[in-house]
Amino acid sequence: MNSWLTSHVRALTQALARMRGQPLATALSIAVIAVAILLPLALYVVFANVTNAATRLNPDPSVNVYLALSANDTEAKDVEKRLRGLENSATVRFIPRESALAEMKRITNLADLLAGIDGNPLPHAFAIKPKSNDAAMLERMRLEIGGTPKVETVTMDFEWAKKLARFVDFAQRIVILFGLVLSAAVVFVIGNTIRLQMLTQKEEIIVARLIGATRRFVRRPFLYFGALQGASAGLIAVLSLTGLTVWVGGEVNALAASYGADFALQAPSAIQSIWIIVAGGLLGWAGAYISVSMYWRQIESGK
Amino acid sequence: MIVFSSTTKRYTNGFEALKSVSLTIEKGEMVAVTGHSGAGKSTLLKLAAGIELANAGKVLVNNQNLSQLKEAGLAVLRRNLGLVFQDHKLLFERNVFANVALPLEIAGFTRTETGKRVRAALDKVGLLNREKANPIALSGGEQQRLCIARAIVNRPSILIADEPTGNLDQTYAATIIDLFKSFNQVGVTVLLSTHDAAGLARLQCRRIEIDHGTLVE
Repeated sequence: MNSWLTSHVRALTQALARMRGQPLATALSIAVIAVAILLPLALYVVFANVTNAATRLNPDPSVNVYLALSANDTEAKDVEKRLRGLENSATVRFIPRESALAEMKRITNLADLLAGIDGNPLPHAFAIKPKSNDAAMLERMRLEIGGTPKVETVTMDFEWAKKLARFVDFAQRIVILFGLVLSAAVVFVIGNTIRLQMLTQKEEIIVARLIGATRRFVRRPFLYFGALQGASAGLIAVLSLTGLTVWVGGEVNALAASYGADFALQAPSAIQSIWIIVAGGLLGWAGAYISVSMYWRQIESGK
Repeated sequence: MIVFSSTTKRYTNGFEALKSVSLTIEKGEMVAVTGHSGAGKSTLLKLAAGIELANAGKVLVNNQNLSQLKEAGLAVLRRNLGLVFQDHKLLFERNVFANVALPLEIAGFTRTETGKRVRAALDKVGLLNREKANPIALSGGEQQRLCIARAIVNRPSILIADEPTGNLDQTYAATIIDLFKSFNQVGVTVLLSTHDAAGLARLQCRRIEIDHGTLVE
């Protein structure tokens, strides 16, 4: 156990010494890896925030039912009775066409235009709060309402949110794809750095093997080197992203407020940050492992 | 104990370096292998160290059949051997101390124990005052002694040395030969190759000659 620990501490010390020995090359390599980690991470943060905002924008969806212009008050009462009898109706609010017109005049600047129109162009309408937001139940409800006499149009005001959610799902897949491609790039960058390290230490590897080093012993410092580079890049990516979020966040909040939305750009949490750093380290480890395995034969053929 | 039993070594280019060689080197014995260049001396030593593996026959070192050992097993075996290479195989990015410390790093010794053992080995070969020097700054004889210090630092039971006095003048060669004799006197099995007549006379040990891959009795 002591010997095992000693060899790991020694491998870690060697890896740190190698990084210190080539500060510029190490810094450049870490910067490239940090950018590769930062890009999908930034996209993820944007889409995570959009998803969060979309969820909060429409917390209480409703189904809107518009009657035909020809529908009179009695027919509207019949429709209301039928709507209240629906299995999925929680509340039904009647919006008379006169109230709708008055409301429209109040909240828009179209009062003069509307005054010039003969009669009321707006129909009687109902706003229904469903008991359940289950997609199948809502679709059944829409069909049932649509088949009611004098009902002209049925809209669900959260349909756009569903479309947005679908877009966000699609975007998340793009982020995952982007993340996978750039993860592979991280593995390649670290793999190439390790390959160059191995070539410069070819003699030491050969001699160590001749006097009793196992492959594991030779491989270990390279694995630590890769992991340290990956983790350092992960840390830089997290710090950069947090900085960007703070920098852009103020503008985004002001923009959201101008549209009446309560929206704040969220930086990665402490737990997420730790995961990013660990993931960077694991990618570095993997890149180093692949590289050492690939170039092993090439190095050993020199014995 | 090292045993070669009808051992044949053929390289990938078809050259047969050893042809059905049978030989036993007892524990604590010192054996000098002689022969002209290309006779098969280095191949015999590489087979004993597990650096090359036999195509036919067996090589047993401390009762272990090297052909049957896996990668990790061979590595452990080599840690218990002291190897002195003809071309020294010193690392010029490391100083004298770090070169000698390498086998102990591999074996997982602590820093304190490594320091003690390295200094003891350097003292034995007369290089204690050069521990911070770069090997490139050492003379040929000093480089050879450094290689010997690295070979003995693990306190091996078997020392295998390929032409340890090659390219050295008489005085340096005599010092190296005396070092091997002193290791043998404390019970270390020594197998070395040489074509240095003066060295052979000084060694006063069992001599084996190889000619075109076969033993000449």
